[in-house]
Amino acid sequence: MSALSEKVVGLSKPYFGPATEQFLARQCKSHLKIELNDLGPTHLKDLAKWVELGAGLIMDQAKGVELAKKIASI
Amino acid sequence: MKGTIRNKLIAGFSGVLVLMAAVAAIGGYAVFSLRSDANEATRVGARLNSLALEIQVHNLEAVRKVKNYLAQTGAAGSEKKRQMFLEEAKFEVNEIQSLAAKAVALATTAQSRAKFSKITESSKEFDQSLAKVVEANQTAPDSENAKSALSAYEDAAEDLHESAEDGEVIGHDASQKSLEAIDHTSSQSVSLVVGISILGLVLGFAVSYKLSRAILVPVDHLKEVAESVSLGNLDIAVRRYSEDEIGDLADSFSRMVTAVKFFRMEAELTQAEADASSKEK
Repeated sequence: MSALSEKVVGLSKPYFGPATEQFLARQCKSHLKIELNDLGPTHLKDLAKWVELGAGLIMDQAKGVELAKKIASI
Repeated sequence: MKGTIRNKLIAGFSGVLVLMAAVAAIGGYAVFSLRSDANEATRVGARLNSLALEIQVHNLEAVRKVKNYLAQTGAAGSEKKRQMFLEEAKFEVNEIQSLAAKAVALATTAQSRAKFSKITESSKEFDQSLAKVVEANQTAPDSENAKSALSAYEDAAEDLHESAEDGEVIGHDASQKSLEAIDHTSSQSVSLVVGISILGLVLGFAVSYKLSRAILVPVDHLKEVAESVSLGNLDIAVRRYSEDEIGDLADSFSRMVTAVKFFRMEAELTQAEADASSKEK
């Protein structure tokens, strides 16, 4: 896993716990059409947007926004 | 310092202990202070009473000595005895003045000071009238002047007796008031101790209530969430009430619920994709 992917996983872990990698992989594959390992700095803005949307479905909206901001600011 | 449950409990119980110590200290000080006031009142009352009684005794002695002095008037060869009675009477009057001055210095009310000052004045008048009687007796014992001096002395003696009696009453009153002060202090002390104890109980109860709520409210919330999740309802918000161990537990629980929700959604999605794929085939 690339350093950037690991960083994103590390940031998301406190929010998604054991589902972190699977959640991020789903967002990358479905919306960005890439593997989680291939995540680059140019993908972060889009990933943050999809994380916000996806997280909003399964957790508190405010927490989703908080995580999206963290990812976007990497 | 982080607001952990341990720290909250330590702070809460320390607070209650400090509160109880403060309440005990205030109560103790108040009772000590009241007792000290009562003791002072008793000391003053008892001393005034004793001074008044001593004044009365010296007054009676003075009158008796003067009576003896007058009884010896005209008797042959009694000059030495008369002189002795006169000196003794003067000594008694001096004692009265000295005791009255002490009582004036000790008295705490204007009324009692005035009464004891009156004794001093009366004793001075008594002394002056006695000097006139002595002078008249030495010059012309049977003259009108001697009779007039004797009459003035009798008035002065009566006046001093009345003043001394007033002093005795004042001394008795002061003593009585000191007893009342002790009774008053006792009842005040009981009220104060009861009042302060109630205040301590109320404050202790308030601190305990606040402390128990700080722990129980988030625990109750987590219990409700756990029950809800165990019954299959994952659409429940897990709130973090406090920045302590229970707050950390709430975060862990929230993460777990989120993961379970995600896995369930993922499984449903995978199943839907599999169903769609099999239909296409």
